[in-house]
Amino acid sequence: MVPKKAGECVVFSNDNNYHFVMRQNHARLLAIFSVGALALFTACGGSSDSTGSTDSADSTVAGRPSIVVTYSILGAVVSEVVGDAADVKILMPNGIDPHEWEPSAKDIEALTNADLIVSNGLDLEGNVMEAIEEAESNGVAVFHATDHVEVIEFGASGHDHAEEETHAEDEIVTAESVVGTEPKAEDEHSDEHSDGDPHFWTSPVEMAAVVLSLGEALSDLGIDVGDRAAMAAERLTNLDQEVSKIVETIPADQRILITGHESLGYFAHQYEFEVVGAVIPSLSSEAEASAGELAELKAVIEAEGVTVIFTELGTSPDVVAALADDAGVDVVELSTHFLPEDGTYASFVLDLASTISGALAS
Amino acid sequence: MNHFIDPFLDNGFLQRALFAGVLVSLTCAVVGTYVVLRGMAFIGDALAHGVLPGVAGALLMGLPAMLGAAVGAAVMVGGIGLITAKSKLSNDTAIGLLFIGLLALGVVMVSSSTELTGDLEAILFGQFLGVNHAELLMQGLALLIVVIVAVFASRPFSLLCFDSDLTQAMGYQAHWYHRLMLFLIAATVVVSFQTVGALLVFGMLLAPAGVGALLARRIVTMMLWAVAVGVMSTYLGLLASYHFSWAAGASVVLTAVTIFFVVLVGVSVKKSLLGSHS
Repeated sequence: MVPKKAGECVVFSNDNNYHFVMRQNHARLLAIFSVGALALFTACGGSSDSTGSTDSADSTVAGRPSIVVTYSILGAVVSEVVGDAADVKILMPNGIDPHEWEPSAKDIEALTNADLIVSNGLDLEGNVMEAIEEAESNGVAVFHATDHVEVIEFGASGHDHAEEETHAEDEIVTAESVVGTEPKAEDEHSDEHSDGDPHFWTSPVEMAAVVLSLGEALSDLGIDVGDRAAMAAERLTNLDQEVSKIVETIPADQRILITGHESLGYFAHQYEFEVVGAVIPSLSSEAEASAGELAELKAVIEAEGVTVIFTELGTSPDVVAALADDAGVDVVELSTHFLPEDGTYASFVLDLASTISGALAS
Repeated sequence: MNHFIDPFLDNGFLQRALFAGVLVSLTCAVVGTYVVLRGMAFIGDALAHGVLPGVAGALLMGLPAMLGAAVGAAVMVGGIGLITAKSKLSNDTAIGLLFIGLLALGVVMVSSSTELTGDLEAILFGQFLGVNHAELLMQGLALLIVVIVAVFASRPFSLLCFDSDLTQAMGYQAHWYHRLMLFLIAATVVVSFQTVGALLVFGMLLAPAGVGALLARRIVTMMLWAVAVGVMSTYLGLLASYHFSWAAGASVVLTAVTIFFVVLVGVSVKKSLLGSHS
C-alpha cells in the first residue's frame, strides 16, 4: 500500500478512515484509563463500610467476651495473656502481609461484634483502620499496642545520613543511654499518621510493655486474666535475655543490617544493631523500588562492608537478587511478619535472632 | 555528562534495565504501531490485565509465570471469539467482560492466598530493576519472533490497517492475519510483563507508536519513530528514577506519555500556524 503524500497527517489515501480510527481510540483510551484506575483502587485496598449490628457485649456463642486481634504475631501473645477468659479471634491469616491485607465482610462483622479490638496501630493495618474506627464509634473498646511502646521514628536509626555518620556506633550507644533514662516517645506517639515505626514486635522488651498494659486494659473491661499478664511479661523478659545471648557472638562491627523494608528498627535498637539501609526504604512493604535508592543502597553496602541482605515478605525477590548479584553479597530470607510453625511468639523472636546471628557470623 | 552516563556504568541492574527497556521498546514499536493504527488498544489493555489470574495460578502451582500468562492470554482471545460467535454482542462488550472478569479473578486469587503476598504489584508494575539475564534472553527472543512475523506478514498487516475487505480481495485471509496480530500483542504482553509489568507494557505499546502515528505517514517510518521514542523514554525514565528516586517502570511510561503529549501539542501548533498562513 503506497501512502499518499497529502498535506496533513494522513496515514493512507483514505484519510477519513484514519481519523475515524483515531477518534475511536480516544474514547477507548478514556475507558481504559478509568478501568485502570478502578483496578488500582481494588488492588491497593478499597474502603470498607460496615452495616452490621452495633451493640453486642454478650453476643458470643459461649457467652465469653470476644477479643479480635488484627494480626497473628500480636494474636499469639494476646491469646497467651487471655487464656480461657475470652475468645480470641485473629483477623489476618498468618503469612499474609498486614500492610496489604483487606478485610472481608465477615471480618468487619467480627470487629463490630467484638468486646475488645487489639490492633497494632501506626498504620500497620492500613486497610482495617476504617473498620476499627467505625467499631470504636459504636462503642467497641480498642487497644492500640503501639500506644504503649516507645515509638521509634522512621529514620531515627540514622541510615538516611549514612555518609555523615562515620562513628555511628558511638552515636547509637549515646542515643541508647539517653532513651534509656527518659521516656522520649511520650509526646511523639499521639499522632496516628506520624512516621512512627509500627514493627514493635521485633523487640520482646517492647512486647512485654504492651502485655502489661493489655493486662490493665482487660481488667478495666472486667475480663479477669489473673496474673497471666505479669507471667507473660516475665517470660518475655527471659526471652529478651535469650536473644541477647544469641546475638552476643556477633562482633560489634558486624552488627549491620540491610532489610527488605524498614521492619527491624526495634530489634536493632534493642540489641545494638545498625540498620544501614533497606531495599524499599519505607515503613510499609507496599512502596516500589527506585533506581536512585537501589544505587544508594549499593554504595552503602560497599562502604560499610555489608555481606548479607535480609529479605522479607513483600520485597521483590528479583530486585534483591539483582542487587545482591551486583554487590556480591548473600541474600538471607527473614521472617519478620508471621509466626513459625509452632505458632508461638517466643520461637518467632528466637528464629529471627538466630537467623540474623547465623548470617552475620558466617 | 557524568550525571547522564555514570549511573548506568556504575550499576549492573541499571544496565540490564536499560537493555531490557530497549528490547521492550523495539518489540512494542512494531506491535504498537499496528495496535494504534487498527484501534486495538482495548484488547491490548485487556490482555495486559487478563494475564493476572494465569500468572497467579502458575505461581501457586510452582510453574513458570510466563506459561500462566500465555494461558491467560489464550483464554482471553478464545473467550472473545466465543462470545462474538455465540451472541450478537459487539467485540467491545466481549473484551470488556473477559477483561474485568479475569482481572477480578486474579485479584481474588492473589488476595486470598498467603503465598502470593506482594505479587500483585510485581505483576502489574513489573520488576524493572530486577531483570536478570534469562529474562533478557526471553525478551530478545520475543523481539526476534515479532520482527520475523511482521516482516513476512507486512503486506497483509498494512492492508488490514486500511481495510479488511480489501485484504480479503487481495487474496489474504483477513481473519487469519487478524489472529496473528492478536498473537503478536499477546506475546508482547506475556513476555514484557516481567520487566515493565502488565499495566505498563501497555503504555509502551501505545505512547511511542502514538507519536509515530502523529509524525509519519508510512508504517515503517512510524515504527522507527516509535523505536526512537521508546528508547528515549527508557533512558530518560531510568535516569529520572535514579536521580529523583521514582518508581522505575512508572517513570519510563510517564516519560513516554509526556513525549506523546508534547509532540501532539507541537503538531497541533504547527498545523494551525500553517493553516493561518495559507
